[in-house]
Amino acid sequence: MSVAIIDYGSGNLHSAAKAFERASRSMDAPEKIVVTRDPEVVFRADRIVLPGVGAFADCRSGLDALDGMVEAMTEAVRNKARPFFGICVGMQLMATRGKEHVTTDGFNWIAGDVEKISPREENLKIPHMGWNTLDMIREHPVLERLALGPKGRHAYFVHSYHLNATNEADVLARADYGGPVTAIVGKDTAIGTQFHPEKSQRFGLALISNFLKWKP
Amino acid sequence: MILFPAIDLKNGQCVRLEQGDMARATVFNLDPVAQARAFAAQGFEYLHVVDLDGAFAGKPMNAHAVEAMLKAIAMPVQLGGGIRDLDTVEAWLAKGIARVIIGTAAVRDPGLVKGAARKFAGRVAVGLDARDGKVAVEGWAETSQVTALEIAQRFEDVGVAAIIFTDIARDGLLKGLNLDATIELAERISIPVIASGGLASIDDVKALLAPRAQKLAGAIAGRALYDGRLDSSAALALIRNARAAA
Repeated sequence: MSVAIIDYGSGNLHSAAKAFERASRSMDAPEKIVVTRDPEVVFRADRIVLPGVGAFADCRSGLDALDGMVEAMTEAVRNKARPFFGICVGMQLMATRGKEHVTTDGFNWIAGDVEKISPREENLKIPHMGWNTLDMIREHPVLERLALGPKGRHAYFVHSYHLNATNEADVLARADYGGPVTAIVGKDTAIGTQFHPEKSQRFGLALISNFLKWKP
Repeated sequence: MILFPAIDLKNGQCVRLEQGDMARATVFNLDPVAQARAFAAQGFEYLHVVDLDGAFAGKPMNAHAVEAMLKAIAMPVQLGGGIRDLDTVEAWLAKGIARVIIGTAAVRDPGLVKGAARKFAGRVAVGLDARDGKVAVEGWAETSQVTALEIAQRFEDVGVAAIIFTDIARDGLLKGLNLDATIELAERISIPVIASGGLASIDDVKALLAPRAQKLAGAIAGRALYDGRLDSSAALALIRNARAAA
């Protein structure tokens, strides 16, 4: 079994790869973690991870610059039903559109737009940087045995935008930052987190482990 | 072998398409309930219904017509088109649909089929519609790179009642079933396979009853029944005789 982490020049690539390697090593049957720019490798992988930091449009054009990557990824996830994990902007790219400075098309796997967060309280700064607990909105295999809720573990966020999903059924978890922030989305065989599981310590590793064990 | 007469619904009417193209729809009956009653009176034992608008919309769009048919006839009904989540599966089964057919979601969300088939054993079928061997989704508007066999193999041993395999290139064109591809699929999986697309005449029914097609559980008949090319009483008599001889 292999997990392809897509290398398209995104900043959190190596920390993401390290977290997946660590989670994989603790499993009974470790999966091979491959960092790749090759659409063929992505097409044949058993699982696909798309990291991402920075602006939506930059990430989209970085990914488009890898010839055939979006097509390979789409075919593998949407038609071969391979599990997919989008992180931060990698998750936002799953939306219909990004509205960060300019409007940019996403993959349209999760209906909705990526919009600026607008916390009610003035003292809550943008970007939102820090640790938050998560509230489960919908049960999902990747959320099993995770400590969610107000007394649960914390996930690490760094962002100014979030995915405002059209269908409530696509939202798995939210955080609160002066209002609801979409934290985890999931539809079909794809999930995505606005926060950084690779920087969220035990909680992040438990989530990644669940993803690696998930057989949709 | 079960011969399923098909009722495809578009805007509450009973239509036939050519190759799944919504622009090439012919209305055969304004009243699907009357059509369902007619099929029941002809002696058919299981009705195949497709919500075409639902297949494109991703959610049920002809629910009113389907419910009216369920009230009007006693024969079991299998229904496909726009069934993409467990709530929709449960709602249709509760309303009296004998089995639901999951198509697009079987490609995109195999977990749904597995969960539904485990929960409702024998009442979940998978519709695989192929164009040049590759499975099409979203009301056949998109074609994938995966084969029907690859998708069907996902659902071995989870309790899926049937795979309905349609050859899109032949559907609605009355050129005969693609029996070779359908038999090949049936021989490679343990789930019963139902042939669909192109059934044109009594010769197709005879071919379905031949020894080489013994793995097939049934076939769908559409346009040929509506335009009279296939005589239902002759077809059903052939099937009865074959059963009696078996």
